[in-house]
Amino acid sequence: MSIGLNAYLTVAGLLFAIGFFGVLLRRNTLVIYMCLELMLNAANLALVAFSRYNLTEKNPMMDGNVFVFFIITVAAAEVAVGLAIIVQLYRKRQSVMVDEIAVLKEP
Amino acid sequence: MQTPVTLLFLILLIPLISGILIGLFCRKQGALAMVLSVGSAGLQMALCLYLLWSEAWDGTTIHLNYEWMRLGLFSFNLGFLFDKNAALMLFVVNFVGFWIHLFSAGYMKDDEARGRFYLGMSIFMFSMTGLVISSNLMMMFIFWELVGFSSYMLIGHYLTKNAANAANKAFIVNRVGDFGFLIGIIWAYWVFGTTDIATLQSLVAQRPDLLITPISLLLIAGVLGKSAQVPLHVWLPDAMEGPTPVSALIHAATMVAAGVYLLGRIYFLYTPTALDAIILIGGITAVFAAICAFGTRDIKKILAYSTLSQLGYLVAAFGLGTEYGHRPEVIAEHGANAAALFGVGAANFHLTTHAFFKALLFLGAGSIIHALHHEQDIFKMGGLWKSMPVTSITFAVAVLAITGVPPLAGFHSKDAILYIAYLDNPITFYLLTGTAMLTALYMGRLWFVAFWGKPRSVNASHAHESSWVMLIPLIVLALYSALGGFMVMYPRALHFLLHDSVLHPEGASYTLMLAISLIAGIGGLVLAAVIYKPGAAEDRVQQKAPALYAFFASKLYFDEIYTFYVKKIQDRVAIILNFLDLFLVGGLLVRGSAGMVGLLGMISKLSLTGNIQTYVYWFLIGIIGFWLYATGVF
Repeated sequence: MSIGLNAYLTVAGLLFAIGFFGVLLRRNTLVIYMCLELMLNAANLALVAFSRYNLTEKNPMMDGNVFVFFIITVAAAEVAVGLAIIVQLYRKRQSVMVDEIAVLKEP
Repeated sequence: MQTPVTLLFLILLIPLISGILIGLFCRKQGALAMVLSVGSAGLQMALCLYLLWSEAWDGTTIHLNYEWMRLGLFSFNLGFLFDKNAALMLFVVNFVGFWIHLFSAGYMKDDEARGRFYLGMSIFMFSMTGLVISSNLMMMFIFWELVGFSSYMLIGHYLTKNAANAANKAFIVNRVGDFGFLIGIIWAYWVFGTTDIATLQSLVAQRPDLLITPISLLLIAGVLGKSAQVPLHVWLPDAMEGPTPVSALIHAATMVAAGVYLLGRIYFLYTPTALDAIILIGGITAVFAAICAFGTRDIKKILAYSTLSQLGYLVAAFGLGTEYGHRPEVIAEHGANAAALFGVGAANFHLTTHAFFKALLFLGAGSIIHALHHEQDIFKMGGLWKSMPVTSITFAVAVLAITGVPPLAGFHSKDAILYIAYLDNPITFYLLTGTAMLTALYMGRLWFVAFWGKPRSVNASHAHESSWVMLIPLIVLALYSALGGFMVMYPRALHFLLHDSVLHPEGASYTLMLAISLIAGIGGLVLAAVIYKPGAAEDRVQQKAPALYAFFASKLYFDEIYTFYVKKIQDRVAIILNFLDLFLVGGLLVRGSAGMVGLLGMISKLSLTGNIQTYVYWFLIGIIGFWLYATGVF
């Protein structure tokens, strides 16, 4: 039995679901951030899988793969900024729990 | 430079500048305010006399229009319409105005708020001049309201409860009349498409059928308020709470005559029915006010009722003369312009002489009140001949003038009115002749009681003649009251008055008129002496016939009726309206909509927890909603 497109998509879907529920349910900002990355990579996996399985003689496009490179690059930059923010947040508040830093609401 | 237009501009602007200077800088410097105000009035009079006496103005009508603003098709113009009647009124306002200003320099010498007083006087002179030379009804209305405002300000000068009430009363009663006047102006604009007086005249001449009686009657409403005709006369007697120079200037000589001036200014806007109404109103006011004059002991109030009565005379004279001028045989004899001549002429002539002698009467009364330390009861005066000779003599001239004793000014002008009445409407003629008799009677009562006999109070026995500042105006006005019937007293430009527009009785009717004047005037005075006895300490009518006096003093219960109406009817309607306003407009609409928004805010605030994960849910709901919309679920 060969591993088909659906298997990749299932893994990508699972990764995305884990990431999504992680963002929704976890309290630690750092974990939420990791879950975000998980969702991003779920999308990457799906893109690469589509790209691989749609490759034919007539259509030698590598669009999906190229797309993924860009996403990884941007995500790296994003991580740099995001982690810096989290570090600063911790320095200011001694906590990275989202329910303890609910500052966006009216006091 | 010395064109009439420049002079008119100066005459109009000088008091305004003086008013602005006083208002901004001289509220506390009474003496400086006095110099400014009296000086500006003097300059105004000098310019006015120069304009009318010299060759500066050739007597042709000056008609100027400047567009001030344009709103769609409606253009609002400011401008001058300076014709012979306007010249006459300008002369009266400026001439009498200056002498009263001069008098007030003496009268108000010890007043604490002289700055405020002269501010009001200067604003009044500006507004009145503007009213006289306005070229259209809208502009006239603005100045009309401004004179009302300065009148309000000056009636309430003494800041007592009574003065405040009187000022409010004058303002509110005038509001009733002015409301009608404004609607009349708008209606006239609606029909004719203009408020320019000269244009209106030519339009009415072309299309007389467009002119309808309601417009005329509404325009008369303004006259009712300003010239204090029945039933809106109630404010004038109360307005005597103001300083006496104010009563003389505003409530006797000029402002109250503005209504009559307006009548003459737009004489062509009155239908025959409206003219009948004018005659009726004038006649009733003349008789009614003359009767009321017997029911008060206050010297200023007697003069106020006398003013009312004379204003009734003026209004009736206008109606009678204009109606007479509309008659076919009169038009055949005097030309198509007859309607413009006799009514306006008779009314304006008497207006002029009345301004002289009534201002003189008030200033005389002011001189007495000043000398007697604000004693106004004529029965507490007496013996003034000896202590105040100049005031007494000038007052006597004024009394003789107002009763119409020949050859004083009042005789000529009153005769002209009676003759018009005699020609036009016999009933009104008897009414006005009766009023002339009553006039002589109540003026006789005032004169014999206040001046003759022995001093009847401490203040009266200590009376002394006023200063020369106050006496000079009395003498000048006495001169005009005595000789105001002769052309030589007037600037050349005003000679048309006696020449063209006043009908003079001739032959048999002249003898008749002379006889009537003598009988009514001298007879009335003699009768007054017999009834009231010179120097009496008490009102003999009140003693002998209390019922009759009570009738005089009741003033036909106009005030009581109005109070009843306001308290029992108007106030109750106001309570209901107030409830509706508070509940419906204020409660339901204003507060209701605000509360609704507030409630929505409170609800939506609940969704803002500040927790990032809540926002993720919102984000999710948003995406789902967007997806549902995109796929066409809703």
